[in-house]
Amino acid sequence: MKKKIVSTLLCAAMAATMLAGCGSNGDAGTDAGTDANTSTDAGTDAGTDAGTDAGTDAGSDADAGSDVSYAGNISIMHFSTSEESEGNGGSDGFRTCLAKWQEENPNITLDETVLANGDYKTQIATLAAADDLPDVFLLQGMNTISWAAQGLVYDLTDSITSSPYADLYNMDYLVPFTADGKYYAYPALTGGTCTVVVYDQSMWQAAGYDSFPTTWADVEAADAYFNDQGIDTLAFGNQGQWNLNSCFVSCLGYQYTGTEWFSNIIAGNGEAAFTDPEFVAALTETQRLFHDTDLFNKDFNALTNEDARERYISGDCAAYICGNWDVSYIQATLKDSDPDKYNNTKFAVLPQAADATKYEKFQNIGLGYGVAISSKVADDPEKLAACIDLAQYLTGTEFSNYVGENYALGGFCGSSFDLSKFDQFTQDFYNYSYVDNKGCEIYDSYVDGSVWSVLNTEMQEMVNGDKDPATVAADTQAAYEAYLAQ
Amino acid sequence: MLKSIKPKKWVIAAYLFIPVALYIFTVFAPLVAALFYSFFDWKGGPTKTFSGIANYIALFHDAEFWASFRHNIFLVVACIIGQIGIAFIMVMLVNSKLAKAKGIHRTFGFFPSTISAVCIGYIWMMIYDYNKGLLNWFLDAIGKGDAKKVWLNEPGLIMLLVAIPLIWQFIGYYMVILLSAVSSISTEVLESAEIDGATGFQRARYIVLPLVKNTILVCITLCIAGNMKAFDNIYVMTKGGPGYSSMVMAMYGYKVSFEQSNLGYGSCISVGIFVLSLAVIGGSQALLKYLTTDKYDRDEQKRLNQIEKERRQAVKVRKKGGALNV
Repeated sequence: MKKKIVSTLLCAAMAATMLAGCGSNGDAGTDAGTDANTSTDAGTDAGTDAGTDAGTDAGSDADAGSDVSYAGNISIMHFSTSEESEGNGGSDGFRTCLAKWQEENPNITLDETVLANGDYKTQIATLAAADDLPDVFLLQGMNTISWAAQGLVYDLTDSITSSPYADLYNMDYLVPFTADGKYYAYPALTGGTCTVVVYDQSMWQAAGYDSFPTTWADVEAADAYFNDQGIDTLAFGNQGQWNLNSCFVSCLGYQYTGTEWFSNIIAGNGEAAFTDPEFVAALTETQRLFHDTDLFNKDFNALTNEDARERYISGDCAAYICGNWDVSYIQATLKDSDPDKYNNTKFAVLPQAADATKYEKFQNIGLGYGVAISSKVADDPEKLAACIDLAQYLTGTEFSNYVGENYALGGFCGSSFDLSKFDQFTQDFYNYSYVDNKGCEIYDSYVDGSVWSVLNTEMQEMVNGDKDPATVAADTQAAYEAYLAQ
Repeated sequence: MLKSIKPKKWVIAAYLFIPVALYIFTVFAPLVAALFYSFFDWKGGPTKTFSGIANYIALFHDAEFWASFRHNIFLVVACIIGQIGIAFIMVMLVNSKLAKAKGIHRTFGFFPSTISAVCIGYIWMMIYDYNKGLLNWFLDAIGKGDAKKVWLNEPGLIMLLVAIPLIWQFIGYYMVILLSAVSSISTEVLESAEIDGATGFQRARYIVLPLVKNTILVCITLCIAGNMKAFDNIYVMTKGGPGYSSMVMAMYGYKVSFEQSNLGYGSCISVGIFVLSLAVIGGSQALLKYLTTDKYDRDEQKRLNQIEKERRQAVKVRKKGGALNV
């Protein structure tokens, strides 16, 4: 008899689980459909009310988040892991502010999902596809337009413009998170450069240069010296395929195209194409530097950026091209382990290409991610107010002051602090990032992943000499046109 | 007594329903969902536009997909030869009288297949590393420094180089399967062959191989199925690069779905992988069946089929005749 009962219960439980699983999917799908159709209205209403309320409340009190009336759970997904936050100011600031906000709002439980950056991109894309985004998440600039068009992200225009920190915001950082004139995220983490040449000044002085050369011709002239020393002149890692785009072409391209070309690409107004001679020339120069010279480590296509930076740390190369996240790691690693190298580490912009006519001291800087809110949250005005409050807190003065005072980094709000209290390494990098050089856009913070996926993959073949730049440009243009056609 | 122990039919059916339901939920439902989504232009999210067979037409003309398919076929062939071939040789060596500590050989042989594919990828990345890798170190050590290469950036060699870790990983797996099949062969058969003067190779070729034929067929099917969905260690080692040089179908589907956010087409690729895998497995089984049956057996089978056909016709005629008589 017992067996019968157990078997019946087991089968019933199994069947119920299956049906529940399928049933809830179906419901979610139906709801999602309805939400998608009505989200604009609900969103606008809730945004105007809750957003403004939250903003005003937060504005009236320096302790943003203290007047949140919502009690319950808020799911949040991000990539500031504890490992990442060690030495990385943006991640540390994000985690610190998140913990503080949670402390100030004991009635709310934050359901945190923290993944490494690579995993995060896949996971958030999967959740977006399933229309099951967490309440609060980090939106990558290149996804803004398509996700906004799908009704997946909540329109934050009202809440941003009425935010207590609105006067402090650097509105330039909002561009990647704008679609049809509406803002869909508060720019998150810190404004960081995506292309910086990190070099060992003592090595370059030994080669006869007081600082890193400003032209590729001079870098090539120094190459023979470093080859004799048995080290690489430059280290680069492009195994992940995105590196060459984000940390090299995205900056070198501006030397050829100037700023207007990419503005036209972003606008999709037909006045710029990837097949334009200026952009093809940038690709050709990239191919020449990587394929026709010995400047870079031979295994640049088989090496990750993490492996390449280890080459710099261990002194196997004289300079390393990377992004701000690598600088944080180098700083944290060298500070105690090799103070001499730490003190000799300096920063430079990408050298000038001989045939580039639009050269300025470009460094591509921006906030690649923004704190966004799922459009489904708009169904619950109290919850929406809490989410907006959280988003403002994570990107507001609390965050900016923390990363400014502790790391000399700039957030969405900017911050004032005494730079002189930091060591020379930090001061130099601050000046490189925010003072000395002209900022340009990070290509893959805009447009669409479908375009960059083609460019990134084909550029790997191009720098091997297996594909010509014109073909890469044509294939990228085809992907771009397909994207525009949508 | 027996009757009281024997469970009722519906109880057996209920228990059997559990694995069937699991199978439907985990295998069949996603497959049907992928088939459904493959008819839509779907960039993720709630909005989908029905596009009919547009995705399939695009797939048919997608050069990168077919290049990925060719890479999978290369992996299948390399792994059948490498994994099962080497496993068979190792089985014959381990099974020989001269081999000592057979248990240790079995255990250590099987060991790599218990390591995660991602770890295998990292281990072999270290072996192939240009500066500090074992392979280039060895070339230096034997005075062949000129042959050093950035192995994972060689488009012409990359498929072979990513196949080697796969082969290495699963030799032990097939060795264990084949070992159990070989163990079931009567020692008397092998001893009589030895007395008759058969060499080790002849015993393997003419006695062991035909007797474990069915097990080898199972191994080949497993090998094909495994390699048609290869993904993880290649993803770790090359991400499909340089360019598309080591792109396999599953990775291409992943790239299209998640990097390009083209989930409708990504689903279409998944269906393509399923259909092509079935075709390759079915085709290879038919081919192997044909190849492993010798001419005498085929003629004998034909003769038996003919006799059976004639017998049926005779029965038919007799029945018709009987009916007429009535």
